Amino acid sequence: MTAATQAADDLHATQRAAQARRKALAPWLLMLPALVIVLVFFGIPTLYMVRMSFNLHIDQRLYVPGFTFEHYVNLFSNPLFTNAILTTIRLALIASLATVAIGYAFALLVWLKPARWRLLFIGLALAPLLISEIAIIFGWWMFFPKNGLLSYALLSSGLVTEKISLMYTEFAAFVGLVYVTLPYCFFILLSIFDGIDKRLLEASADLGAPPSRTFREVMLPLTWTGILVAFSQSFIWTMGTYATPSALGPDTLWTMGFLIQEQMLGKHNWPMASAFAVVLVVGVAAVMTLTRSLQSERTSFHV
Amino acid sequence: MSDATHRSIEPVVLRVLVAAFTIFIIGYILVPILVTLVMSFNNAAMIRFPIANWSARWYADFFASGQWTDALKNSILIALGTAVISTTAGVLCAWAFQRFHIPFRDMWYILIMMPLFMPGVVLGLGVAIAFGGLSIGGYAFYGSRELVMVAHSLWAMPLVFMLMEATFKTIDYRIVEASHDLGGGPVRTFFEVVLPLVSTGIVSSMLFAFVISLNEFVMALFLTDRDTQTLPVLMWLSLRSAGTPRLAVASVILALTVFACLTIIMLWYVRQLRKVSR
Repeated sequence: MTAATQAADDLHATQRAAQARRKALAPWLLMLPALVIVLVFFGIPTLYMVRMSFNLHIDQRLYVPGFTFEHYVNLFSNPLFTNAILTTIRLALIASLATVAIGYAFALLVWLKPARWRLLFIGLALAPLLISEIAIIFGWWMFFPKNGLLSYALLSSGLVTEKISLMYTEFAAFVGLVYVTLPYCFFILLSIFDGIDKRLLEASADLGAPPSRTFREVMLPLTWTGILVAFSQSFIWTMGTYATPSALGPDTLWTMGFLIQEQMLGKHNWPMASAFAVVLVVGVAAVMTLTRSLQSERTSFHV
Repeated sequence: MSDATHRSIEPVVLRVLVAAFTIFIIGYILVPILVTLVMSFNNAAMIRFPIANWSARWYADFFASGQWTDALKNSILIALGTAVISTTAGVLCAWAFQRFHIPFRDMWYILIMMPLFMPGVVLGLGVAIAFGGLSIGGYAFYGSRELVMVAHSLWAMPLVFMLMEATFKTIDYRIVEASHDLGGGPVRTFFEVVLPLVSTGIVSSMLFAFVISLNEFVMALFLTDRDTQTLPVLMWLSLRSAGTPRLAVASVILALTVFACLTIIMLWYVRQLRKVSR
């Protein structure tokens, strides 16, 4: 082997090595912007939040570095805070059940109706998704009170004799919450329905089953996973959504999200707000894990 | 006997139920929208039905008020920034996932998608306490539009990533190979072959990112000050003090901006379809 070919081989080898290095580096370079966003603006704040929740809160300062479990103890012993946790869970549970029921019926309707209605209904379902939560709140805010549209409509149709107000009731809070989460639920369920062969319904009817029995014994088992996913999705959303219940519901309807805002912006108690946020995140994570395990159990059972 | 009557009654009951539900769902979704639209043309200063006089007075009022037009400007700037940041990051990341072997792929996937499942109040709080007091070279993070853009990208970027991951799967990769065979480097191939193929996906995800940022107000509430507050934040703060038809006007303007974005997506989509059919 001459020195010249040796040098050429070396050159090729280094070139190839450089190419391989570049090839190995390429995915990381491409992922870099996304990873910076997630790690720097999600990872660091999350860790910071956990650390913050153990800091001290002394004489109206935002926080004093230290280490205490005081805020967590407070969270689970102070009736104000425990009530907020229970209220959040109760609201999320009822609102999600209502959302799934309405969303299921809505998706079923769109699935069964002729195709020409489909686009119209999908456009309708998209509307709450594309409107800002604040605009939704304000819309219902004009509908429910004494001088609102509902009261006027009922009064002029003669159904009631005096002005009525449903504003600042739990009912109003639920109406708003379900409105916000309905589209997510609807689209999850519609995608499940679209995977079902409609001839199954005919087969069931041909075999003599009335619609109610077809629903119970054919549709429900086929859509069970979808219901589960839609429910957990709604639950997670309603747990984190606090503006709607706090604006439409009664003054005493304190949710965890509302107390986080109150502690952070009103009371300037950063450790307490952080402790609350940590508990909320743990709750969200628990619901997601539970859904996943239920889902896999279900599918493994079917297979 | 009873079974027979049962069977003949059931379809009728069902049809009535279906009709009732259809009316209910259409009404339910349209009520807040129509109420807002109607109220925005109210002449009076109070929110009350019935409406006696109609006028566009509150629209004129909105555009004459520096505070409200500034808020609209902030909203649009922040939404534009969010769209650019999250689309760039999301598209590149989805391409990496499509074309390269990535160690611990599932772990990175979960990490990137995670912020999407976090409540806005938690993300807002985290970013606010971690970056609130920080300032580098006289540039204060807190209250800056850029910080809100990045915070909004925490929701928008995973969504772009998800959309683009699905879009990249639909490409015919023989075209990409052909480009390589013809001597096109990876960078040139990406910009001149791949991107034009997925342009509809990119435009859609960019506009979705824009809409998410435009409508979001919890994170913005935690991260903006008086000078940078967005329109939804200003609406939330004024709703707490007093509701006037000006808020209805603000709602309508927000919704119209979103509607304009949707129209752009539709026009783009139709254009692409025409190109393909030609």
